[in-house]
Amino acid sequence: MDFLGQFWNNVALGFSVAGTPFNLLLCFVGVFLGTLIGVLPGIGPMTGVALLIPLTFGLQPSAAIILMAGIYYGAMYGGSTTSILVNTPGESSSVVTCLDGYQMAKKGRAGPALAAAAIGSFVAGTFATLMLMLFGPWVAGIALNFGPPEFFSLMVAGLTVVTSLAGRSLVKALFATLFGLAIATMGIDNQSAVPRFTFGNPELLDGLEFLVVAIGLFALCEVFVNLADMKEAVQERLSIKGSLWLTKEDWKRFVPSCIRGTLSGFFVGGIAGAGAAVASFVSYGLEKKAGKYRDELGKGAIEGVTGPESANNAAAGGALIHLLCLGIPGSGTTAIMLGALLMIGLQPGPLLFTQQPAFVWGLIASMYIGNIMLLVLNLPLVGMWVKLLDIPLYLLTLFIIMFSFLGVYTMNNSAQDLLLMVVFGVIGYLMKRLDIPAAPVILGIVLGKLMEEKMRQSLVISDGSVMIFLNRPISLFLLFLAVVAITNPYWKQIGRAIRRLFREAPAR
Amino acid sequence: MKENREERIASVVLIVFSAAYLVGAYYIPMPIFKQQLGPGAFPIAIGIGMLTLACIYAWQQFRGGTKEKETEEEIEKRATIIGAEEKIEKKADLKTMGFMLVMMVFYAFAFERLGYAISTFVVFMAGVLYLDRRHLVRDAVIAVIFSFVLYYIFSVFLRVNLPAGPLKFLEF
Repeated sequence: MDFLGQFWNNVALGFSVAGTPFNLLLCFVGVFLGTLIGVLPGIGPMTGVALLIPLTFGLQPSAAIILMAGIYYGAMYGGSTTSILVNTPGESSSVVTCLDGYQMAKKGRAGPALAAAAIGSFVAGTFATLMLMLFGPWVAGIALNFGPPEFFSLMVAGLTVVTSLAGRSLVKALFATLFGLAIATMGIDNQSAVPRFTFGNPELLDGLEFLVVAIGLFALCEVFVNLADMKEAVQERLSIKGSLWLTKEDWKRFVPSCIRGTLSGFFVGGIAGAGAAVASFVSYGLEKKAGKYRDELGKGAIEGVTGPESANNAAAGGALIHLLCLGIPGSGTTAIMLGALLMIGLQPGPLLFTQQPAFVWGLIASMYIGNIMLLVLNLPLVGMWVKLLDIPLYLLTLFIIMFSFLGVYTMNNSAQDLLLMVVFGVIGYLMKRLDIPAAPVILGIVLGKLMEEKMRQSLVISDGSVMIFLNRPISLFLLFLAVVAITNPYWKQIGRAIRRLFREAPAR
Repeated sequence: MKENREERIASVVLIVFSAAYLVGAYYIPMPIFKQQLGPGAFPIAIGIGMLTLACIYAWQQFRGGTKEKETEEEIEKRATIIGAEEKIEKKADLKTMGFMLVMMVFYAFAFERLGYAISTFVVFMAGVLYLDRRHLVRDAVIAVIFSFVLYYIFSVFLRVNLPAGPLKFLEF
């Protein structure tokens, strides 16, 4: 009875926070901008959230996160529109939607495809939020028992899981992560007041500004990518012919794939913490194995749209659980959100749940509201979004440059930051060319200082013994997870080697 | 994975960078009061890690690419997962990129000296003139809106401090 009573109290608190006119407006602005970003090819949610962070300055923390969460969700919804109509994924979690979505559009069934994506996303998002409401406090409760070693191992695990999934080459992804950690070491060391890597530059005493790196690495990098073949860019766009609604036959196929997508997405994003894009791939794989109409996949089967789109929204909700309850971002976008929250002065994590219930529950309530707003925005108004795709790429690119400079300058009124941002834009482009992923860099930057602090605290507790990380069960388990994640690409090899060993042994 | 001249050069650059970082980390001084683990420990660990990875990368590149541990399909499946979108294989239009890079550096330097409005307008128009001149009038109007009108909105309504440059006399 106590749990239920508490639960309803929290829900009421949440809606009272989210229901204020200002916060409702922010929620709407967030999902609107998020959908915009998702629809526009060339800006992904990571870039979008980074670009829009300056909007959150001067806002209360709860208002800021309502805005950012709205953008995050909105981008998930919007990304499917370009996938279906232009065969260009709006962001990495919509790549799979291109496969069947575009095929459906070519057959004149763009309307049902968009509807399936929107409704599936809504169901999944609501489910994930519900899970957050029911289990969030419990997870946060467990995490309250974490000491510095557990936190350190948790961060190592989080970093390695993301790293192992980022990009084609583990070596490059690991290097990117370490590069991020290296950037985080710039500035005055918190625990000893010794300046590190500041090159005598007073502006660097606080380290590199997070936003400078984030916007440079994502937004300006996109600018260079676009510029690289701007003169030849041609985009073919399909229009929405026919009705927007799903037939009865569609509904019958929609429901099971939506359920499968939601559950698998939540598992991948919420429990494994692997992120929305992975979730969409897993869902597509699941549809291939379990769907009744699996033979139609790839030629325009509605399951190929519903499954992945539900999965990526469920995973986004799950990633927010990680962010709020554990303070560990489960994806590139949540890493940027974490960076933004740290900039405002909040420390997401289990303490946040207990000490700032208004913040957390207000966010949860506004996620519900946001989901509903998104459904409305995306179904009837989809024609409006499609018009946006007509903005010429060169104008879009110039806008991005402008917003980047504006946003970064308003942080510290520093022209040096602008220059650094351009430098990181170049670095970002070079990284893209070399196939070195950028998301681990951001993760490294965001987690770096905290990770080092926890490590040093742990070693103080243990008087210098490294065994403290292995002696405590939770920490040991998390480090084991990290090892599993890192060796993941090599399992097949290891398995083969072990089998070879066993085959040869008896012949003695 | 194929070998690639770009990647070979890159791997050497990464080795040099890692080594430089490691050297820098080594020279980080201990603080006045003794500590368990000084400020240099974490950076040194990172530096060693980066150097090792850079060397592995270079080794992969110089002996002619890695063996096929996974099928291409599996690699592609994992690849598009976090931020690693299409690999950029096509030749890049260096002239355009170079021009815009110069404009951006100019923008960074001019932002404070010429003020937000003027520098934004200049950069925007330069971009339009270079990239696509077909709709000059429309684009010039857009440029004016985004530089001068936006400046007005930000400084008066949002009270955000943007540099005025030589237009200081117009300050509100």
